[in-house]
Amino acid sequence: MTLNRKPPPPAAGRILDAQLHLMDRQVLDVDAVPVTTVDDLELTDVDPNAEIPPGSPAPVIISLLTGPALGTRIFGGRPPSRRLVRIPWTDVSDVSVVIRLGVSGEHLDAGWVQRWVRDKIIARIPGGDHDPG
Amino acid sequence: MILGDLLGLPVFGTPSRGSAAGEYDGGRLGKVADARFVLDGQPHQLTSDARLLGLIVSPHSSGSFLGYERTEVRHPWPLPQLLRWRHRGSFLVLWEDIAFIGREEVQLRQGFTAYSTALDRPE
Amino acid sequence: MKRLLGVALGILTAIGGFVDIGDLVTNAVVGSRFGLSLAWVVGVGVVGICLFANMSGRVAAVSGRATFEVIRERLGPRAGLANLSASFFINLMTVTAEIGGVALALQLASSVHYLLWIPVAAAAVWLVIWRVKFKIMENVTGLLGLTLIVFAVALFLLKPDWMVLAGQAFSPSVPGEETVSAYWYYAIALFGAAMTPYEVFFFSSGAVEEGWSIKDLVQSRINVLVGFPLGGFLSIAIAACAAVVLLPAGIEVTSLSQVVLPVAEGAGKVGLAFVLVGLVAATFGAALETTLSSGYTLAQFFGWSWGKFRRPAQAARFHLAMIICLLVGIAVLATGVDPILVTEYSVVFSAIALPLTYLPILIVANDPQYMHEHVNGRVVNALAMVYLVIILCASLAAIPLMILTGAGS
Repeated sequence: MTLNRKPPPPAAGRILDAQLHLMDRQVLDVDAVPVTTVDDLELTDVDPNAEIPPGSPAPVIISLLTGPALGTRIFGGRPPSRRLVRIPWTDVSDVSVVIRLGVSGEHLDAGWVQRWVRDKIIARIPGGDHDPG
Repeated sequence: MILGDLLGLPVFGTPSRGSAAGEYDGGRLGKVADARFVLDGQPHQLTSDARLLGLIVSPHSSGSFLGYERTEVRHPWPLPQLLRWRHRGSFLVLWEDIAFIGREEVQLRQGFTAYSTALDRPE
Repeated sequence: MKRLLGVALGILTAIGGFVDIGDLVTNAVVGSRFGLSLAWVVGVGVVGICLFANMSGRVAAVSGRATFEVIRERLGPRAGLANLSASFFINLMTVTAEIGGVALALQLASSVHYLLWIPVAAAAVWLVIWRVKFKIMENVTGLLGLTLIVFAVALFLLKPDWMVLAGQAFSPSVPGEETVSAYWYYAIALFGAAMTPYEVFFFSSGAVEEGWSIKDLVQSRINVLVGFPLGGFLSIAIAACAAVVLLPAGIEVTSLSQVVLPVAEGAGKVGLAFVLVGLVAATFGAALETTLSSGYTLAQFFGWSWGKFRRPAQAARFHLAMIICLLVGIAVLATGVDPILVTEYSVVFSAIALPLTYLPILIVANDPQYMHEHVNGRVVNALAMVYLVIILCASLAAIPLMILTGAGS
């Protein structure tokens, strides 16, 4: 945080720092129901074996990651790509203290554990599907 | 590419080949402490693409800034001072100045510009 | 009446911190061994928990974010997980102890062996969590827990020498027959109990359950300023009763029946009836607080849907986690372990959980993105930094002192 460096050229859109604004934030769906926490982010690929040609377009965020991405972020390692649970960036509607989605969590891959526990266990216990009396 | 893999990678300058070397060319400069994005990419229905603007490189620590990268957050004493001291000398390097992102390291182009990391726009 | 019921969240939260089963016994032990010479620690603890609970309530009211979301967001997954593990372990041990505590209190009242009461107590806790509205839950347990004030009434009826008690409280010294390390071990245990992290988890999540917003900031402050001092007051009253009756008689407190002995002596059968209701309500309230806190911390770390304001099916993982916690608690108690001993070791885990809980609350309470103009003032920040240092010192000293004194024995 050296203040005597010059500021970068002004950007045309809102600035988001991954660690500060995105990572580990709560994700809410369109009805404000919690879906998950942002465990990691997936970006478009950069060839890890070759120099980046000058003028290449910058990577963009493809999806918010959850599920096994949390384990590997804490303990290291890399889950196989097909096991990642993704929420597409195009579903994101707003980034503030929380990240809001413009879609319902009901149909997201990230909600399958919640749906499984709900349908197989909790909804089968009497009173599980009623408002608290 | 997964962002978590990129954070914490060591950052190197490109070794100067006898040319007029800038102050940072060659050698280890620090670690990737954060990635800065800008919402100015292709617009979608709900939001725009978040484009990688650049990386924040911190010479002494790849740990979190705990939110104190924003200059308007100044309390409580002495936490901001401690965090800023831990991240002293950190800088923003733009995507255009990144030469190589590998699995083990990041390399910057020759003569890259180190910008201030300060974030002081209102949220 | 509305104002009075409006502070139920603060009272219920404080009950878990100051007069849950472990603290009921610890307070009486402290009174019977050290008189009121450790009362100042309760005072220090009350100020500390007021400071940070008010911050956590303010963050929840202004931003809608409960404490463990804030911890995960600011500390990241690694330190967040370290805190989750420690806090969750404290919660689980306390849940176990409280269910045992409810059963012990019911045994006192009914003479039926406590092991038989354990499944009843656990089922009752679960039913309340499963079906009862948050508001009703906190009002009933909070108000019934207030019957513990009978300890203060009994103290008056015992007609103690107030000058002696005041002398112990205001010019504290280590009693001749006790060691300095045992004194400081209990000082840290009392401080840790007053500031135990599940209080802020429960208080901030309760604020979200009740849908607090910026207009409820005053209500939040009243809750804090009524609830925790009241908890501290009850805690000191219990110690004072023990100091007046048990200390001179040389009775060493090892069970709940000795805790209520001074009330029976001072306030007779009516007092005893009140104190039994109070014991059941307080341990039951603490069981609810810690069971819910287990669910809150897990759900908020992982970003699951949570809250009693939702149908259980809409917070399925949150409810499943709490069911598992209660089952684990029953299983542990079924081995015949002493429920009161279980809480003694939570001091060790508090050493990890306390700093990692209160630091992120303090940072976020200063973050304008969350708080807008409701950020901390200078005085609050200065006090909070002093408390962070105290917490850190207590954390560092806790484990060596525990080993040195054999957990205070």
